[in-house]
Amino acid sequence: MLGIGRLGPLGRDGDATTGGSASACPPAVDERGAWVVLAGAHGVGPVTFARLVAAYGSARAVLLDATLPGAVGRLVDASAGSESGPVLSPASAMTVVAAARDPERALDSVRRSGVSVVTQRDAAYPSRLRQIDLPPPVLFVTGSVESLEPRRAVAVVGTRRPTAVGRATSARIAAAVGASGATVVSGLAYGIDAAAHLAAVRAGTPTVAVVGGGHQHLYPAGHSGLAAAIAAGGGSVVSEFAPDVPPSRGTFPRRNRIISGLSDATVVVEAGARSGALTTAAWALEQGRGLYLVPGRLDDPAVAGSLAFLREAGPEARVVAGIAELLEDLGLDAPPRRARSDQAARLGAAEAAIAAALAGGAGSADELVAATGLPGAAVLAALTTLELRGLVVEVLGRYQAAGRLAERPRRGPRPLDARDAGRPVG
Amino acid sequence: MLATLLSATLNGLAGRVVRVEVDVAPGLPGFTIVGLPDAALSEARERVRGALRNSGYRNPPRRITVNLAPAELRKAGASLDLAIALGVLLGSEQVAADAAGLGLVGELGLGGEVRRVPGLLPMVLALRDRGVRRVLVPAEAVEEARLAPGVDVEGMATLGDVASCLRRPRARRVTPAPLPRTGVGPVVVPEPAARGAAGRAEYADRVPDLSEVRGQVVARRGLEIALAGGHALLMIGPPGAGKTLLARTIPSLMPDLDDASALAATVVASVASEAPVTELRRRPPVRMPHHTVSYAGMVGGGPRLAPGEVTLADQGCLVCDELPEFGRDVLEALRQPLEEGSVAVVRVGRWATFPARFTFVAAMNPCPCGRLGSAGQSCTCPTGVPQRYLRRVSGPLRDRVDLWAAMDRVPPELLLRGPAPESSAVVAARIRLARAAQAARNAGVPNGQLGSRALRDACRLGAATASRAVLLADREGLSGRGTDRLLRVARTIADLEGRDAVSVADLDEAARFRVPADRFGLGVSG
Ligand SMILES: [Zn+2]
Repeated sequence: MLGIGRLGPLGRDGDATTGGSASACPPAVDERGAWVVLAGAHGVGPVTFARLVAAYGSARAVLLDATLPGAVGRLVDASAGSESGPVLSPASAMTVVAAARDPERALDSVRRSGVSVVTQRDAAYPSRLRQIDLPPPVLFVTGSVESLEPRRAVAVVGTRRPTAVGRATSARIAAAVGASGATVVSGLAYGIDAAAHLAAVRAGTPTVAVVGGGHQHLYPAGHSGLAAAIAAGGGSVVSEFAPDVPPSRGTFPRRNRIISGLSDATVVVEAGARSGALTTAAWALEQGRGLYLVPGRLDDPAVAGSLAFLREAGPEARVVAGIAELLEDLGLDAPPRRARSDQAARLGAAEAAIAAALAGGAGSADELVAATGLPGAAVLAALTTLELRGLVVEVLGRYQAAGRLAERPRRGPRPLDARDAGRPVG
Repeated sequence: MLATLLSATLNGLAGRVVRVEVDVAPGLPGFTIVGLPDAALSEARERVRGALRNSGYRNPPRRITVNLAPAELRKAGASLDLAIALGVLLGSEQVAADAAGLGLVGELGLGGEVRRVPGLLPMVLALRDRGVRRVLVPAEAVEEARLAPGVDVEGMATLGDVASCLRRPRARRVTPAPLPRTGVGPVVVPEPAARGAAGRAEYADRVPDLSEVRGQVVARRGLEIALAGGHALLMIGPPGAGKTLLARTIPSLMPDLDDASALAATVVASVASEAPVTELRRRPPVRMPHHTVSYAGMVGGGPRLAPGEVTLADQGCLVCDELPEFGRDVLEALRQPLEEGSVAVVRVGRWATFPARFTFVAAMNPCPCGRLGSAGQSCTCPTGVPQRYLRRVSGPLRDRVDLWAAMDRVPPELLLRGPAPESSAVVAARIRLARAAQAARNAGVPNGQLGSRALRDACRLGAATASRAVLLADREGLSGRGTDRLLRVARTIADLEGRDAVSVADLDEAARFRVPADRFGLGVSG
């Protein structure tokens, strides 16, 4: 799916004022296409883009000038700000020149990759992103473009190497956020990000993944299936980089400002001392959005970064004191609470038995077989049934109550397991 | 004068009938064999000469020409020795006998003794199918040859026995009784001699009962479904989770082979084995090659184009513990049998296609340190190492896996709690019924091999189950192939429960065997 038709065609159209022959003539693209070509050129970030367009008046003018002799020097000069030097390197200027000489090539590459394109000129450009400093001029999207404009959006981010508790917490928060009707935004990375995306996908709520490279170089490659599931589930995978741009050291911090920028608030689940999630946290504050950090035990390296950030950041950074409390702080409605008898009436016998066993805490399938005395096959089937209803979440082979089941007063059977991955840290 | 006899040679697993024409004519003494013989066959000349001399016969001082027909068939091995020797005796009129309807298979020693050749059983079967009613075979392997129904078999210890046997009026033999049943005794696993430690089955000793495995409901049930429907199963979990113990119970769960399959399994054993096969392989083979197994050991090959582990596991189960530790080429070589149920073996100038339809059961640690994906533990491998470890099992191979069972260690307190685990006998009974249901419905194709179209017919989805299947597939981002996997597994679950149509509960249970992508950082491959 090209997605280009709905948002207007890319490339040659009536807007182009072309005449004459190939190279030294105005590029045969409209202004929107020129945005895609210029923003997609390697080495052109939002600052460069903004300065060049400001200096020339339009992206088409930049591309036109880039086809004329001596363009590299002029482009570098034009990228200088009033108080700072040029931000475009001569090498990057040469990629702009190359792109300008053959804009169709860049546009073709985008078309072939099957991603939708949303520019700041389009109505579909996410309104939350318009409000941040230096918004990315162009977004490349797979999945639903509408998912970038949800009623409420919450980013859930954290370390790539979380503890089991961290993973579980991420999944619970994402499931709760999703169940309240908000969209979960994260970065598709291993660990906390993946747990959040998966919990949302499993609960059937849309989720948005912001990736730090082009769609053809999806990172991490091991999550290409997850990305497909996100796109198929009404969510989207979005990048500010053209599909052919490989991820690099510099692309991830840039990606983080989009994660926070697409969201009303950011929740940091676990962040070690140098976790990249802390840059997302800093961006959230910078952008005037909400920031919540899940605290943890003192001296636990898994949360060393979160605790340090809480100490430094001051009152704008808030603490997650519980799932219900977080939803309340975020101004999200908790999903409607039903009477217990009503709820039980709608569950099958096996599901109800498992729900009762999970009221005490998380358990593995084996523990649920032991606790309920049901045949293994019945327990396995019932767990999927409960998962589909958003009442159970699996993390690392352990199941815990979610949605309405999780809100019940903690009463009844003693916890199945002292390691209880089901409660928030702290 | 010219003597014509029937013998047989081996091509892959099939016996091929060879017409041995021996012409003993006046002229300069010599001994020539024509008709695509291989090296072992060229040496037949020396073995036959020695055997004749040491059995008290003359080597006729004439020109001896042996022609092997059909000419285009490449003949290998020493199975034709006996026929060539008798041809010389008849041609030189040292023995007079009517050889019509007679077949001979056997290698000769220089002293005149008759020795067994690998693949004796399929050779006798080929002669029978050509209308031969009486076959002389090595005495040491007469039991093996008698496993071929419908043909009279006589054992020959020496070349001298052949002559005296032919002089005797032919004894009327009763066709052997129907195939003997070995019952549900201890499991016999084909044990090809001289394959080295790497190729040896590891079930030499006691087979544990499923009731000895506590917990691990996902893997237990996964194994049951795999064996019932012929699905590939991959167990992932830390060392000590019980993957190997579970795999070792497999022989106690598989039903006996039917007559045709038993004969096919016995043919494989006959070809693979250097020693005579003494009884019908009624129990399905379970092969557990070590991860150091060579390419030829896994696929087949070697000097006499012997079948490898994938063929030795035909009709049974191939177990690969520590899957990522197998050689890359060995793992890649598993794709063809998993996709086609057979494997092509090529060796300089010769090739054969061997059957290789087995249930594939594999086990692996999630990462080198073994802790990835375990609750309450963290992986200590450097970043990226677990992903590289998992990628040793290539995408196409992973795509063949219908059932993923993520495992963790069972906490000690759980070992004492909960209902007693089901025994092998109970689970084996369900598997037998599920297989019978598939045989009746799918024309002999196990659910694990059903194509898209046949699968959808077999599942008999209604409105509720169809929409559930779509919902589950969407949730996992499954492609068409991933949806087929879900349906295949659900179909087998329904068969285990004795249901005609797949139910919502069957689909829900099948979904639990999804790729544990989030747990081990795998792609949710579709
Ligand atoms: Zn590890």
